[in-house]
Amino acid sequence: MELWNHCENPYPFVPNEVLEQAPSVRASLPNKYCDPKIAARLYDEVFDEYRLCDDLGLHIVTNEHHSGINNLWAASPVITGIVARLTRKVRILSLGTLITVRPDPVRVAEEYATIDVLSRGRLEIGFVKSGATEMVSGDANPMRIREREWEAIDLIEKTLTTHDGPFSWEGKFFIHPHVNIWPRPYQQPRPEFWAATSDFPTCAELGRRGIVNTLLFGGYDRTRQAFDAYKKARAEAGLPAPGEDRFSSMAFAYVGDTDEEGLRIGQKIAWFLTVSIKSAPQFSKFQPGAVAPEMAPKAWRGGASKRPSNLDAEVLIGQGQMFAGNPDTVAKQITEFRRRVGGIRHIIMMTRQGLVTHEEAEKSFTRAAREVLPQLQDLPPIDDEETAWEARRARS
Amino acid sequence: MGSAAGAVVTSVPDAASTVPHRLHAGPLELEVLRRGLRREAGTLLLVHGINPIPPRAPFLNLLARHGEIVAPSHPGFGNSPRPADFDTMYDLVHLYLSVLDALPGGRVTMVGFSFGGWIAAEVAVIGHRKLDRLVLVDPVGVKLGGREERDIVHFFNTAPEELNRRAWRDPARRPSGIYGLGWHAAVDEAMPDADMIALARNWDALCLYAWRPHMYNPQLKGWLHRIAVPTLVVWGESDRIVTPDYGRAYSALIPGARFETIAEAGHHPELEQPHAFADCLARFLDGRGQQGQPR
Repeated sequence: MELWNHCENPYPFVPNEVLEQAPSVRASLPNKYCDPKIAARLYDEVFDEYRLCDDLGLHIVTNEHHSGINNLWAASPVITGIVARLTRKVRILSLGTLITVRPDPVRVAEEYATIDVLSRGRLEIGFVKSGATEMVSGDANPMRIREREWEAIDLIEKTLTTHDGPFSWEGKFFIHPHVNIWPRPYQQPRPEFWAATSDFPTCAELGRRGIVNTLLFGGYDRTRQAFDAYKKARAEAGLPAPGEDRFSSMAFAYVGDTDEEGLRIGQKIAWFLTVSIKSAPQFSKFQPGAVAPEMAPKAWRGGASKRPSNLDAEVLIGQGQMFAGNPDTVAKQITEFRRRVGGIRHIIMMTRQGLVTHEEAEKSFTRAAREVLPQLQDLPPIDDEETAWEARRARS
Repeated sequence: MGSAAGAVVTSVPDAASTVPHRLHAGPLELEVLRRGLRREAGTLLLVHGINPIPPRAPFLNLLARHGEIVAPSHPGFGNSPRPADFDTMYDLVHLYLSVLDALPGGRVTMVGFSFGGWIAAEVAVIGHRKLDRLVLVDPVGVKLGGREERDIVHFFNTAPEELNRRAWRDPARRPSGIYGLGWHAAVDEAMPDADMIALARNWDALCLYAWRPHMYNPQLKGWLHRIAVPTLVVWGESDRIVTPDYGRAYSALIPGARFETIAEAGHHPELEQPHAFADCLARFLDGRGQQGQPR
């Protein structure tokens, strides 16, 4: 198995009374509350963490969000390009640029090709559907974003893999009559593609295309079902069964000296699920396209938040959404997760999140790389029939 | 009954019916609300705004005294299907030209509300042999102010309570079960599921057509001078979604247009002050409200 480090680079320094009064901490919170001197320190700290990960053998994930306290990575290609030059060994996954917000996927492909060359072939390209406040801060129509995402992926793929001069693209959402990027990517035919989704039809399409499927806090059940949809779609299309390298999951993670420390610091991560996702209803449940119309009564009455109802670290661990404890405990949790979801290669650890400090994060990374990762190598094959039966029993 | 250009109106109009009828316009089939039997007085083609015209809205029967009301639901709204690639104002404009083809009789008054006012203005700029008169009710559709001035409050990015406050002179007077801008503020446990599903579907369709540029066509302002039919522009005096000043400037771009305000009404004067609204239209439709300028 492989471990990846993902940090949203949040900004947890806005006074609580401001956050409590603000209807939304994304899209509309004035940037007067962002002190650029603090932001500069945060960038330094997280880039230092990435250098440490490079030394330790933990791969790196970048992403982007806009106009909010949850994330200071304003443009994934910018940040990923910096990481490419700060590191030498590990792989770098951009998960990802908000391609449903960017007007020209060709530019995105060109930026990624540049990073792939800069990093001498260490780039992996991830796609996210996005939505909610991102549609507002990027002024992108929130309707039909999944269709727009697929067309953008198709255009980016063709852009990265066409080397014989300009081609023309006249699609439903994107038009570019003269596509011919320089440089072309370092990896041939192109860097690996990933996509973050737990939507089963989308997982099935990822399966048919062989794109790595990652879930974000999917937990045991949803992750298992998503991967099953991926595998089933491949089988039905007559394609070979996917290896575990096609599967990934992002979870909160903290590796401490002791279980007590792991849980105590792991609990700090709850900030991500409480304060940093506060969003006004017009940017969330009432945004057009947020839910299918027939689901509106449930979403509008109950709220559209995907936030778990119980944020206790031990509950999150029990659901497969957090790995926390001492190194042996975390290794056991991840091994069990792999077994219960039917096989998985990539675990993306969200560690430096919420109120977790730089020092705490570096300690966890060191423990994860030196004491957890070795225990995740040469694991026995998964007995798919046995774990499938267990999953069905757990759901019933 | 048959009609021009391959378009057919099905079902016989019923003076009191609230049962939706269907209307075929080219390849599209639309849900349509019909009211009134005074076909000899002409047809009032109502072009709805953010939601289809509510069958229980009191202004309908008041207007039906002045002509036969035909009120289609745009594709994606109400029970009108939306073909996959039907998603722009261009599509809506050509659809309503087809609807005009489909309507029997030769004298049609288009009455466009809010977003539907934008559609009606676009259609009137192109013109149609059956289009006899035009009424725009708190329409959106044009950009008049500077690049840092917002003419039209953002429908989708504004808090529900704020939309409600700006759209209604008195939000408390909003008739139960009738939804205008700020309808989100009415969402509660008591709202029927069917209403929520309908509102969500309408909201999605509206967004598809009008997210960006938000609620206007940057080119329309330059072509309003081509509108060649008598035009009435009606504005809720307390509309703070698009202000009466915006309305006056909009109206001034349409040759000979008459501008009237409705007191104690916001963005939906037809819902908030149905009698004053109907009286205002009656003066125009009876020919007493025209300025009589040469065209």
